[in-house]
Amino acid sequence: MKWIPNDIEMYINAKEFVDTAVVALHPVSFGDEMKQSASMHDFITLLTNQLERQFTGRMVLFPAYSYLKKGRMDKPLEELLEWERSLKENEFKHIFYITSDSDWRMQESSLTGALLWMPLLPLESMDESQKVSLIGSQVKQLQNLFTQKWRENQ
Amino acid sequence: MSKHRVSRRQFLSYTLTGVGGFMAAGMLMPMVRFAVDPVLRAEESGSFTPTKQKVDELTSKPVRVDFTFKQKDAWYESEVTSTAWVYKDDNGKIMALSPVCKHLGCTVGWNTSKEHPNQFFCPCHYGRYEKDGTNIPGTPPLAPLDEYPYKEKGGYLYLGQAKPRKEA
Repeated sequence: MKWIPNDIEMYINAKEFVDTAVVALHPVSFGDEMKQSASMHDFITLLTNQLERQFTGRMVLFPAYSYLKKGRMDKPLEELLEWERSLKENEFKHIFYITSDSDWRMQESSLTGALLWMPLLPLESMDESQKVSLIGSQVKQLQNLFTQKWRENQ
Repeated sequence: MSKHRVSRRQFLSYTLTGVGGFMAAGMLMPMVRFAVDPVLRAEESGSFTPTKQKVDELTSKPVRVDFTFKQKDAWYESEVTSTAWVYKDDNGKIMALSPVCKHLGCTVGWNTSKEHPNQFFCPCHYGRYEKDGTNIPGTPPLAPLDEYPYKEKGGYLYLGQAKPRKEA
């Protein structure tokens, strides 16, 4: 379910079936890395939207968490842990973070939710059909990960 | 110079008729176009969307067919890609089923569950459907999969809007 009133209404009526939260993590940089952070945003948005289409009925795709990138990661981490607490309090058993920012990999151990780091693909140089098939195959990999996690904790 | 001299009165009336004619035409044309428009639109293929699937390549095994159409969402127009599971049933009739699970809207896959082969399977809450789209009792979905109306044009498959089917 997406973060839109209709879907959230559906979520409220079917809470017991929805146990998975997906949060995209978008870094925001300036200067030399500005363009790259935009590409990451584009790529991760496409990916999470496709993922949502596959798993509409069991996950909520939350609005992405965007943070200013200024070297240290402790501030974004602190805030994300805050998110995590709220998600858990609200009965999201499975929490997934999806990002292209490799700095999160160092913080993985502090998070309870699963961190899925997707290496950035240069989408802007591809045509539409290439893009679709590439995103499709990435989503397929993610799908397997999700179903595995669900099976583990049945 | 010809003998017929055009008088001032004649000249003026000619130009006025000419200009007036153009103006009237300019006003009437859009009106006529608006009036006739519904007729012209019916000539188009309705709301059927072309796919890349050739009809004679279809077999009894469901294949995934992706197709893209434009969707208008308030002032924002976007391209939406939809999917259908298409196959020929025992009588050779084409079936195009929507992959959207009738439980909570996940995407179902064909033959993706090892325990339950040759069924449509929803990975979210393990809902299952027979090949013809009928929901299997005891699994979460309460209705059969939606069906796409289809058309064949130039050997290619065209799909319309998915419609719910009657309770099986």
